[in-house]
Order: sequence, then structure tokens, then C-alpha cells
Amino acid sequence: MDQGTRYDVLIIGAGVVGNAIARELSKYKLKIGVLEKELDVGMGTSSRNSGVIHSGIHYKPGTLRAKLNVLGNSMFERLCRELKVKMSYIGKLTVAQEDSEIKSLYELKEQGEANGVPGLQILKRDEMEKLQPGVGGILALYSPSTGIVCPYTFTIRLAESAFRNGVSFWLGKKVVAIEKRFDTFLVKTQDGETFTSRVLINSAGLYSDQICRLLGIEEYKIYPCRGEYLILDKRLGHHLKTLVYPAPHHGKAGLGIHLTKTVDGNILIGPSNEYVNSPEEYATTREIMEVLLKEGKELLPDLETSDVIRSFCGLRAKQTPPEVGGFRDFVIEHRKEIKGFINLLGIESPGLTSAPAIALTVKDLLEEVLTLEEREDFLSELPGFTGYFSELSYEEKMDLISKEKDYGQIVCRCEGITKKEVIDAIQNPLGVKTLSSLRYRARVMMGRCQGGFCLPRIVEILTKEFGFRPEDFLLHREGSYLFTGNVR
Amino acid sequence: MKREVVVIGGGPAGLAAAISAKRAGARDVLIVERDKRLGGILNQCIHDGFGLHRFKEALSGPEYAKRFIERLDAEGVEYMLDTMVTKLGRDKTLELSSAKGLKRIEAKAVVLAMGCRERTQGAIMLPGTRPSGIYTAGQAQNLINLQNIMVGKRAVVLGSGDIGLIMARRLLLEGCEVVGVYEILPYPSGLPRNIQQCLLDYGIPLHLSTTVVEVHGERRLTGVSVAKVDPNRRPLPNTTSFIPCDTLLLSVGLIPENELSREAGVEIEPMTGGPLVDDTLMTSLEGIFACGNVLQVHDLVDHVSEESELAGLFGARFSEGELRPLGEYTSIRPGPGIRYCLPQRVSRERDFFLSLRVKEPMRDKKIVLLDENRKRLIQKSFPRLHPAVMVRLKVMVEKIAKAKGLEVRVE
Amino acid sequence: MRRELVCVICPNGCELEVEYQKQGEALEITKVEGQLCKKGPKWAESEIKGSVRTICTSVSVEGGELPLVSVRTTSPVPLNSIFDLMEEIKRIRLKAPVRSGQVILKNPKGLRTLIIATKDIPLKT
Repeated sequence: MDQGTRYDVLIIGAGVVGNAIARELSKYKLKIGVLEKELDVGMGTSSRNSGVIHSGIHYKPGTLRAKLNVLGNSMFERLCRELKVKMSYIGKLTVAQEDSEIKSLYELKEQGEANGVPGLQILKRDEMEKLQPGVGGILALYSPSTGIVCPYTFTIRLAESAFRNGVSFWLGKKVVAIEKRFDTFLVKTQDGETFTSRVLINSAGLYSDQICRLLGIEEYKIYPCRGEYLILDKRLGHHLKTLVYPAPHHGKAGLGIHLTKTVDGNILIGPSNEYVNSPEEYATTREIMEVLLKEGKELLPDLETSDVIRSFCGLRAKQTPPEVGGFRDFVIEHRKEIKGFINLLGIESPGLTSAPAIALTVKDLLEEVLTLEEREDFLSELPGFTGYFSELSYEEKMDLISKEKDYGQIVCRCEGITKKEVIDAIQNPLGVKTLSSLRYRARVMMGRCQGGFCLPRIVEILTKEFGFRPEDFLLHREGSYLFTGNVR
Repeated sequence: MKREVVVIGGGPAGLAAAISAKRAGARDVLIVERDKRLGGILNQCIHDGFGLHRFKEALSGPEYAKRFIERLDAEGVEYMLDTMVTKLGRDKTLELSSAKGLKRIEAKAVVLAMGCRERTQGAIMLPGTRPSGIYTAGQAQNLINLQNIMVGKRAVVLGSGDIGLIMARRLLLEGCEVVGVYEILPYPSGLPRNIQQCLLDYGIPLHLSTTVVEVHGERRLTGVSVAKVDPNRRPLPNTTSFIPCDTLLLSVGLIPENELSREAGVEIEPMTGGPLVDDTLMTSLEGIFACGNVLQVHDLVDHVSEESELAGLFGARFSEGELRPLGEYTSIRPGPGIRYCLPQRVSRERDFFLSLRVKEPMRDKKIVLLDENRKRLIQKSFPRLHPAVMVRLKVMVEKIAKAKGLEVRVE
Repeated sequence: MRRELVCVICPNGCELEVEYQKQGEALEITKVEGQLCKKGPKWAESEIKGSVRTICTSVSVEGGELPLVSVRTTSPVPLNSIFDLMEEIKRIRLKAPVRSGQVILKNPKGLRTLIIATKDIPLKT
């Protein structure tokens, strides 16, 4: 068998959890591979969520969700600094609108404190108003450790850091069969390749139950639950100083429709909450969009219909069927009967926040199988700067353009993204060449014109400088070709 | 760096404004253009029909642009290509970015001529998946006409704006099947002649009061669902049908590109999406003028040129100190039947062009300008009025000399 | 006989009502209404005899700043000849530089028109 496909550890699924594990384990002397069915990392739930770093007030003390959320939250600042990812602890107000909801605020505070959430405070109207003018409501719980991060940038940078430390990423490799022979896993992918490893980690998200079934584990089932969002123009970003959530209504599965500021200054309205039939059901619906817009306008009176720049949806990997609703705790287990199989399942919210802590938990489980030896040459920092060129100071920009003239050429007018940033994204370390990979890495085609201006320019760069033929352009997935050939 | 007049954008509006400013005596006029060539969107508009008013010829877009570019060179107007204005201040300072670095320019007058952008799938909240194969008409036009890239084999066009109609014909001539054009309104959004020569000539069906209600396909577009709509543009149940296609072109409206203007503090008029201007095309900020599609979405480039020459002229006058600072204005408001009119306020010191669009198609109507006492100052009869066609009326100053408030309406 | 036409000469797009008589090959226009200018009746007559249109498209260029040059006919050609003409145009291969106004093809398919470039395509630098 080909030496290149033999690993100590194989991770199935390059979402935020898989990549966080890959990066954590790359600190040790291990040969690690990641198998991902899509053409890029983070194409599922990891890039389709609110981008909130939760504080951990919502989860029952003693659960994995509570523990890993609070630990994960505390790890974000350092991790984002190392990975050059924008994040901000902008805090959150959980607001009671009526007397009947006040009790739940105190319960949340108590629960949060039991979980170890720092700095929780009950705020009166005037104090709430100072944090978020025009917030409304009668009383609020303030959690200063709630933050925001760009979820796909974070996911990608985790992968790039892992890659820099020797992890192999195999993209477009859908796992179709798994066999355990003695102490070795044989993992077959759809294209007929076989990968082997001593440890196999299932972080396949919405598909984690299907991976379990390949190993004969039948006890789990994932119920995809769709959340739709609208993204608003940056024009409105200044309205939100902190996050504002409604006080919890018992028995509902999500956190209720709310406004979330993104780290880039847009506002998200959402998410909705409907169970769907398949883990591929990424379609937005007219009914939900209209509800989101209506409720969004109530929360943000300045909002005009024309401020909507895009809609999207994500799927939660829930373990509870529709008739039950609510939440079940994360499954993070070493299946002793299949020694070396580490199973992660039902990592819905707060999965993003918990990811760094989940990675530590997995590392501990790994020590039941392998002896870990730290590497001395682990590179914790990614090169470059945090954020985008357009966010730098005049002097910093001048300096960079003098070294690299492509920083002076703006390709995306809405977000001010430069040609150098586009070229860096095209030359990304994982070698992904889809247009969505450029969106997620360079933020092109993401502004209010959604590529109306920059798509043709990016096509020109890829054609002239990277030799792309019309047939070579893919939007996101296998088969998502953009063009059908030349005109002449 | 200092310049008398800086024009932002080197498309049809910017070219005409710059030439006019130079001819009016501004010593140095500079165009800042973000593309690698002048001419703007005209470079990709290879169809004919430009310049019928101005040159009495049916030119293609590039030919129309060339006439202005030659003029510009003859007048010795300076221009920077591949250069983006990243910031405009209310004090008329500009920040520029190019491969040569960043630059700050102080201008005595600024002419906004940034044009417009197309409304997108997101902006019209089109439900469904996010497959490849969905383009705005202008994107497809760029790819097909400038980059030699074909976008698909079987297309549906949503929206009957002129670019969509032009592109329906263009796709068909290049071997792409065009299933039909779907328009949510009960009447077409594009010019009648384009309905004739782009659709009817080639047997492409136009479906009015019908829209795309969902897009399908997880990878490439596999089809769209279309449905009839009620008078409130709500899809009617039981009228939905699935149309297989691999391409969806959107021609669902244009939005003036005023982010720079907004950041500078220029007041934007919600109905036009462009700056509020007076009869010199000066915006709410002194010395900053606007023209072309950044001011209002035009139907014809000929009108853009005409309007922009005025903006350039007044820009030059302002830079020479000949244009009096903002004084007392008389406002003009749109009355019954009028979607918008422009300028929104006038000085009553000079003749001006009143541009307007009506709300819906009408026959045998008058457009009337009234004063605050409902006295008719001007009226003009039109056998046909259509929202796709911009109406431009010359208003002589003596007609409005005493008016304290003006209203334009359809009767 | 009667026909309703939309004049395509200018953006006014006048809706013309045309009455005419046909005797063998001979065609007599008896009435044209709805035009805003004097070009209307003349256009109506020509349209009834057989629609003619200007055709605009692109021709392949090698070694230029752009891979295509835009072209058009210098006069309208019969609508029913357009697809044949497109086939002819698709076969042309030019070498840069190309000048706007340059004649690309004379009397293609025996039609009394020229195909001219409508854009400058300088050599690729």
C-alpha cells in the first residue's frame, strides 16, 4: 500500500471540530490525515452559523456542552491571535420583555455561574440602554464573555495551521466503507482509494451517524434542523454595539430569531428552526425569509428591504427528533469495543465555541491508544496580518504596497479587497481552487454587489495569471461548473 | 496633489463631465477610473442603438465611448486608470489606491460619476439553493463580450430590464437556448423596441406577472420554479411550474453606487437611490456634483451624456468661484403618477432639465408642472408614457420665477 | 390588411398601426398611425416587406489585449439571414491589432453590408 495514505490518526470531516482536533494533535509527533467529502474545509455547518462565541450560560451544569463551551470560550482569544483571525468579545444582553421572563434571567445567571461563566450581571433598563441604545425590554442578563468570530475564517485557519504543521488534508474524499483489521482502520473513499490509520476520529457532523453505521454502530441518528438567515448591508452594522437575545422560551429548540453582528460589520437576522429530511437540504424558503425580514424590521426599525444582501442556511446536527425537540449533550467517546475509534456526534451549538476544548478532550482520549510525544518544532503562529488590507492604517497600507504593488489594486469594490489578497487566496496552502474558497478566504464576492463587479475580474485573474480554461471554474462543489466553454 | 475638478469614474458620465469641465475653463481636470480602460460599461455593450439622439447614428457602446475618449484626449484631460477612489471627504479630499500606492488629492470641485450596480439574487431574496449558473445580466455580458466565456446552454431570464433583453438575444445568437423572460410586473421593464428586437424578433416568450419563486440544484442550476403573481406581486398558489435550465440571468434593477457619496455625507434620495441635487446638479455638499447612473438610473446613454455635461460645466464654474454657494431653494416634489423627479430643488436662477419617470404605463396623458397654488406653469402631452422611458423636460426659468413650491404630476 | 408594429429605429419605440394591400409581389401601404417622427412610415413599409436588423456580435482575435473584438453590420440585414451570417462571423479569426471601423468582411453571404470592428484591440503588452 502507498506509504502516503498510512496514518497514525485519520480524522473524517474537516469542519471546525475536525480541524481544531487536527491542529491540536499536530503539536505531537503523529502522522495525521483529514478526509473531507467536499472540495474545501468548513463547507457544512462550520461556515453556516451565527459566528457567536457563546459564554456558556445556556447549558446544564455538568454537561459536556457547559464544560466545553466555557473552556472553549476562554481559549478563543489566544487561538485567534495565533491564527490571525478577527474576533471580539462584544458581550451579550439576554433581555426579558415582561415580568414573567425575569425569573428565567436569574436562573440563567445562576446556571452560568455554576458553569464558571465570568462577569455575569443583571442589568436594569438604564444600564442596558448604555450598552445598546434603543434595546427595549425591562431587565437583562449581561454576559461580557460572549464574542463574535468569523466562523469560516476560523475553520480555514485551523486547517492551514494544521497543514503548516504537517497534517495532510484530502479534499473531495467521501468515506464509503470502514473496516478494522487487527489494530488498523482501513478507510475507503468513493474514488476507490484506501487510507489506513491506528486511530480514527469521526467528526463528520451531519454525517456522523452514517460514519458510525459503517462501523456497525447503530444507536445514533442525526436529525438535521435548518436555520435560515438574512445578511444585511454593513450600512446598518453600527446599530449593534453588543448582541441582543430574547430571554429563553421553554420548549423551543433554538435560541429564537435575533440579530447578530458579524465580525466584519454586517448584521445577520436568524436563525430559524425547522427540521428537514436530509443533511443536504440547503435551500432557503420564501416563508422563512419573509418572517425573518418582518421580525428583523421590528428589532431594527432602520432596516429597509433593500438592505438584504444575501440569504443562507445551515443545518444543526441534532440528536433529538422533531417530536422531542430540545437538546441532547455532545457525544465524545472512545469506543472501547472498536479500540481507536473516537466518536464525536451531535456537536450542534455551541460547537464552534467548544471546538478548541473538544480538541483537548479528544487528545486526552487519544492517550488511551497512543503515546503522545510533543514536537519541538510546532508552529503556533500563522504568517500575515489579522483581518483585511482595507482595515490597515494609511501608513501600513503604503508600506505594504511599496513592497507588493498588487496591494494597491482593488478587485472588490464593496469590501475593498485587493488583488494581492485574491492571489494569496488562490494560492491557499490547501490548494483549493473553487470560487467559494476565494469568497471564504479573501471575502471577495461577499459584499453588497455579491460579485457583480468582482466576479468578472477574478475570472480574468484566474484566466490570465493561473491559466484557467472556462471549464476549470467551479463554484463550490464537484459539478458546480460555472462556464460551458468559449464563445469563439 | 491638487486639482480643480476631479471626476470619479471614467464611464459615459465621467467622460462627458470631464470634457465639459475642461471646455468650461477648468484648468486641470482629472478622471479617476478603476478599470484598465476608459468607457465604463459601454465597453461590454457591444449592441447598437447608442447615440441616436446625439450623433443621429446607431453606434455600438464601444464606438460611442470612443467618440468621447477622442474628445477627451483632444482637450487634454488627465486620467488615472486602474485606480480606485477609496475615500471622499466632505471637504472634497479624495484618497486613491493603485499599484503605484495611495494618494491624497484636494479638489476644488468633485463630480460623482460612479454609475450603478445590478440588483442580485440576494437583494431580491430569491429562495432556494445556491448552485452555480446564476448571473446578473451585466456579469454575463462582461464574460461573454469581453472574456470570451460562455455561461450556459439553456437559460431563463428573470426581469425584463434592458440589459436582460439584450442578453437574451445575445445568448440566443451564441447558441444558448433561451426558454423565456419572466417579469413580475404586468408590463415590461425594458424599452418597447428592445422587447421587439430582442425577444419578438427571435420568438423568445415574455411572461408578464410571472416570477421565479425558487431556484433548484445543489451543484449547477438544474431548473427554476416559476409562478404567476397577484397584483401585489405575491405568487399565486397552484400556478407554479418547474422549468429545467442550467442558467438564470437576473435583470431585476439597477442601484446607484453611492457608498462613497454616503460616507462623505451626501444626502441620498430614497426614490432615486442617488444624491439629492439642485438645478446645477450639486449635491447637498457644496462643490460635489453628481451625474449619470450614480444620480438616477437612465434609459439612454445620450441622456447620461447630456446630464453629465451640465454637471461638468457647473463643477468647473464652482471651482473657478463663479457659482454662488447654496442659497434659498424651491423644492420640486413628485405628484400623482410620478415615481420620482429630479432635481429635487431649484434655485430659480437658470433654466434646467426636469427628469422624471412615471409609475406605470399610460396613454394620452399630460405631464404638468404646478406651483404651490396649483397653477399650471408648464404642460406637455404624451401619447404614451412608460416607466422604462425617462422623461426629460426643459424648464425655462421665467416660467417658475415666482414659484415657492413646485409639483410635477400626470393628468 | 392590418398589422401592429413596434418601430425599433429609436428608443421611442413607437407603436405603429399599419394598413396595407398586397397584390402578388406588390405591396401598397395605405395608412400608418402612431409614429412620433417621419421615419415611422418608411420603417413600417420596410418592416412589412421583410424585417431587417443590424447585427452586433464578436469576432475572435489572437494576440490582443482582449480575446474578442466587437463587430456590427454597417447596415441592417434581413432578419432571416442573421443565423447564416452568425455562422460566417463565427469562423473569422483575426490577429491583433484591430482598429475600430476596420472592415472585417465585405458583402458576407452576398448581403449588401460590411462587417466592421467597433472597438480597438491593441496588441497584448
